[in-house]
Amino acid sequence: MMAKDHTLYQDLTCTQFFHQKSIFLLPKFPNSTMTIHTLLFVSLLIFSFIESSRGGNKDRLFTELQNLLEVTAKPVQDVIVLEAGKDMVTIKWKLKSSGKVDADATFKTIQVKLCYAPISQVDRPWRKTHNELFKDKTCPHEIVSKPYDKTPQSLDWTVDLDIPTGTYFVRAYGIDGDGQEVAYGQSSDEGRTKNLFSVQAISGGHVSLDIASILFSVFSVVSLLVFFVKEKKKAKLEQRE
Amino acid sequence: MGDPTGEPGSSMHGVTGREQSFAFSVASPIVHTDKTAKFDLPVDTEHKATVFKLFSFSKPHMRTFHLSWISFSTCFVSTFAAAPLVPIIRENLNLTKQDIGNAGVASVSGSIFSRLVMGAVCDLLGPRYGCAFLVMLSAPTVFSMSFVSGAAGFITVRFMIGFCLATFVSCQYWMSTMFNSQIIGLVNGTAAGWGNMGGGITQLLMPIVYEIIRRAGASAFTAWRIAFFVPGWLHIIMGILVLTLGQDLPDGNRAALEKSGEVAKDKFGKIMWYAVTNYRTWIFVLLYGYSMGVELSTDNVIAEYFFDRFHLKLHTAGLIAACFGMANFFARPAGGWASDFSAKYFGMRGRLWTLWIIQTAGGLFCVWLGRANTLVTAVVAMVLFSLGAQAACGATFAIVPFVSRRALGIISGLTGAGGNFGSGLTQLIFFSTSHFTTEEGLTWMGVMIVACTFPVTLIHFPQWGSMFLPPSKDPVKSTEEHYYGSEWTEQEKEKNMHQGSLRFAKNAKSEGGRRVRSASTPPDNTPNNV
Repeated sequence: MMAKDHTLYQDLTCTQFFHQKSIFLLPKFPNSTMTIHTLLFVSLLIFSFIESSRGGNKDRLFTELQNLLEVTAKPVQDVIVLEAGKDMVTIKWKLKSSGKVDADATFKTIQVKLCYAPISQVDRPWRKTHNELFKDKTCPHEIVSKPYDKTPQSLDWTVDLDIPTGTYFVRAYGIDGDGQEVAYGQSSDEGRTKNLFSVQAISGGHVSLDIASILFSVFSVVSLLVFFVKEKKKAKLEQRE
Repeated sequence: MGDPTGEPGSSMHGVTGREQSFAFSVASPIVHTDKTAKFDLPVDTEHKATVFKLFSFSKPHMRTFHLSWISFSTCFVSTFAAAPLVPIIRENLNLTKQDIGNAGVASVSGSIFSRLVMGAVCDLLGPRYGCAFLVMLSAPTVFSMSFVSGAAGFITVRFMIGFCLATFVSCQYWMSTMFNSQIIGLVNGTAAGWGNMGGGITQLLMPIVYEIIRRAGASAFTAWRIAFFVPGWLHIIMGILVLTLGQDLPDGNRAALEKSGEVAKDKFGKIMWYAVTNYRTWIFVLLYGYSMGVELSTDNVIAEYFFDRFHLKLHTAGLIAACFGMANFFARPAGGWASDFSAKYFGMRGRLWTLWIIQTAGGLFCVWLGRANTLVTAVVAMVLFSLGAQAACGATFAIVPFVSRRALGIISGLTGAGGNFGSGLTQLIFFSTSHFTTEEGLTWMGVMIVACTFPVTLIHFPQWGSMFLPPSKDPVKSTEEHYYGSEWTEQEKEKNMHQGSLRFAKNAKSEGGRRVRSASTPPDNTPNNV
């Protein structure tokens, strides 16, 4: 912090210095508007440099988290592809018995999320996996977030209507009182290739939508032709008179 | 109809927006005002308005202006309506990055062809019907978004919607029937800039409409389809308004496209030849591809970029993206003004330097945008980039009228098509593959802008010079008359077909810069330089 303050102070004193010596060092501007514009522009630049030099403290990495939770996710019915909005998945999570007894002492909240398997991330950079947790896009869909309970939990979750077509697994994050992730668990292996399930999204189309669409299109074309024909007829009548 | 001589390509006169210096009214005593005509605005003998009153809706002139630019803007709204909703659409249709990029290319490619056809359509049906036909017949393409279920459908529908960008031609043509050629520059320049704003308006409008529909209870994948009804209805509304409130000519709607008949029509083949063999045409085609072209490409990618890179909400990303397109309101005219300002002191050389500086600056800001790591830096870089690119569009068309007098229409048309072509090419190379991330794509696009702006240095006018070379010393070649006269053969000169070019040459002497302006006698404002 001290270093940054010092730099800012230097910037300000430099500007003052240049103002005093402005006649000799800075270019002359033909009018005051240009001066104001340039000053605004320069201050924008300074602001941007300050902004970009400020580091973030959201640098928590996924690899720092410990795999303390055991998560399973199985479709309720034995289908190959789950339908969004209809089919259900049974999700269970609990603390791993292989870990320390009170490893979950810091957990305040448990957040269970639906995550993309690597096959659904190909050619789709908006689903990319990043090590930095705040950048990571692997798990955008939240299934449930509730206060942590030490006992093993189970949930029958209906796949949401806005889940896209793809292949998924489930991950649970243990979150401490500050809202920071401290541990995780997932229903798949480390390479995220096993125990995956597929979802088929809703189409989003409706018959009523299609009908409305056709009606308006027809109206557009027909009204244009009606106008055109009417005006041509009127013009012919006028010509005859 | 845009020009009493009815030459091919005359429908494009006024497109450049720079035929005359930006004037709000005609000051020339030679333009006879018709005092017997009962119009709200003062008119000339053809009943074209000689004054441009921006905030009036008086019939028929200003009404035409507003109908025209709003229809053009509506087409921009629907062409780029998908862009801010891509984060939703890509999940519904299971699109890959390639699909999204290809759809973007498709959206700007259709109008390359439709703009070429539109001139002929306006000649046949008149600009009012040309506009109405295009706007109302493209409404079904907008509505058909509700049927789309995969990448192929998405790309096809965006391609079909893109055809309606040809309203640019009908817009400019229609106004040249309503406004005197001495002010047509400002009128058309304003209309073009405000029309382009539609690309910004849509980034704000579509996410808001989507949010409202979502809150009304629709699921995400249905809501975006319903949202597309809004641009569709705008098409229908504007089409009906144009048909009921608009009129082809100041005096009415008679399908009487009676031309004087005595004037010999120029041959299309000849004009095409002079357009194509002038090397400056091709440099401007390239340049416009990297000012207007990158503007169109950015309209397509910027909302998704902010949504993904900075984890913003859809309407926040849309708001920021809208700032890019809305800057057209003043940035494009400002570019033309800057060109005029530099021409006052340095003539054509000043115009060329202005264009090079503005467009290169835009390119450098684009590089900065690609490399920006924080939201504030990215927004600042984006705004500066938009100012650079759009002002460059204005500055380009400040020079185009001087490239040729005879083939002006075709050169303007080719330049415009170059814009769309550049957009398609840029999106194909940088935003359709997994080879570049979007931020890398933006950086490389900026580099390409800087590289493709270098050819401005090659543009040389013997009578005025170029960026680095002074005008020719040859006493014959260094006159404006020689340059514009060289587009006519001796036989044509014998028939006095080149008189228009000579008059233009006389007025173009002011492009020699300050020493010429102060040395020569004040130029008389001869009308009909277009």
